[in-house]
Amino acid sequence: MAEVSAQRQHAFRVLMRRHMPRALRVAERIVRDPAEADDIGQEAFMRVWTHAASFDPQVAKFTTWLYRIVLNLTFDRTRRRTFLPLEDAGDVPDMGPHAVERLIADEELSLLNRAMAGLSDRQRGAIALFHMEGLSGEEAANAMNLSAKAFESLLGRARAALKANVQKIQETGSYA
Amino acid sequence: MTPDQFRRLAETWGGDVERWPAATREAARRFAASAEGAAVLDEQGRLDRLLAVAPEIDEARADRSSLLVLQRLAAVPQQHRPAWYRRLLRWPTLVPAASLACSAIVGVWLAGAMPYVHSASDPLSVMSGVFDIYAIGYGSVQ
Repeated sequence: MAEVSAQRQHAFRVLMRRHMPRALRVAERIVRDPAEADDIGQEAFMRVWTHAASFDPQVAKFTTWLYRIVLNLTFDRTRRRTFLPLEDAGDVPDMGPHAVERLIADEELSLLNRAMAGLSDRQRGAIALFHMEGLSGEEAANAMNLSAKAFESLLGRARAALKANVQKIQETGSYA
Repeated sequence: MTPDQFRRLAETWGGDVERWPAATREAARRFAASAEGAAVLDEQGRLDRLLAVAPEIDEARADRSSLLVLQRLAAVPQQHRPAWYRRLLRWPTLVPAASLACSAIVGVWLAGAMPYVHSASDPLSVMSGVFDIYAIGYGSVQ
C-alpha cells in the first residue's frame, strides 16, 4: 500500500489482481447484479487509488478498508435504486463432468439468492462479511462501521430472516 | 450457560463455536459437548454452509474490471501544477529567499548604525596622499 500511496501503478495492479475478486464478490452478494457489482468494484479501486495516502495501516487492515469502501458504495447505490433485479432466471445446465454437483450447487445458490432478496442491504452485507468472507465479528463490525453489539444484533436478525425465507421458499416453491 | 443462551448465540453466530465472541467460547464448548448442544450446532451449521456459498467471480471478469480501472485512471487529466505563488511558498524556495532577506536587513541596519565618514576629496589632500605613497615606495626601508 505504501507504493500505491506513492502512485506507483505497478503496485496498484498487483493490489487489484489480489483483491478485485473480493470486492466484486461482496458487491454482488449485496446488489445481486453482476454488472452493477463490476461498476462498484471499479469505483472502489478508483477510490483506493485516489485516497491511498489517507490509508493508515495502524488503524485498519487493507481488506477492512476495502470492504468499507465497497459497502459504502453499495449502500449508496441501493439507496438510490427504485427497483430490485429479478432473481429467477434459470441458468443453462452444465454438461461437464461435475454436472450433478454443479446442479446442486446452482440450486443452493439460487435458493440463497432468492432468500437473500428479502433482506435489507445491511443484513446482506453482514452475512457477506461474516459468512462468505469469513471475517470475525469484530472485523466485520469494523468494516461496517458498527459497534460489536450492533453488528451482533444485525447478524442475528439477518440469519433469522434468511432462515424464515428459506423455509418459506422450500414450503411454497417461491418467495413472496 | 443456559440452553436458551446457547441457542440464541448459535442463531446469531452460527454453528462454529470458535467463531463466537471470545467471552462466550469456554462455556459454549462445554455445552456443545452435550447431545442438545450438538443438535443446535448441527442445525445452524447447515444454514452456515448455505450462507457461505459465494458468487463465482472468474479471473477474466476480475481482470477486465482491473483493466477498466487503469483505463479510467489514464483518462483522468494529470494533476495541475500548483500556481507560481504556491510553488514559491515551498521550503526549497523559501530558504534562499529568507537568507537574502536577512542579508538585506543586516545591511540596512549596519548602514544606519555606523557613523558616516566623508572621504577627503580636496586637491591638497589628494596630492598629500599620493606623495605619501611614493615616499613609502621609494624612500622607506620597507
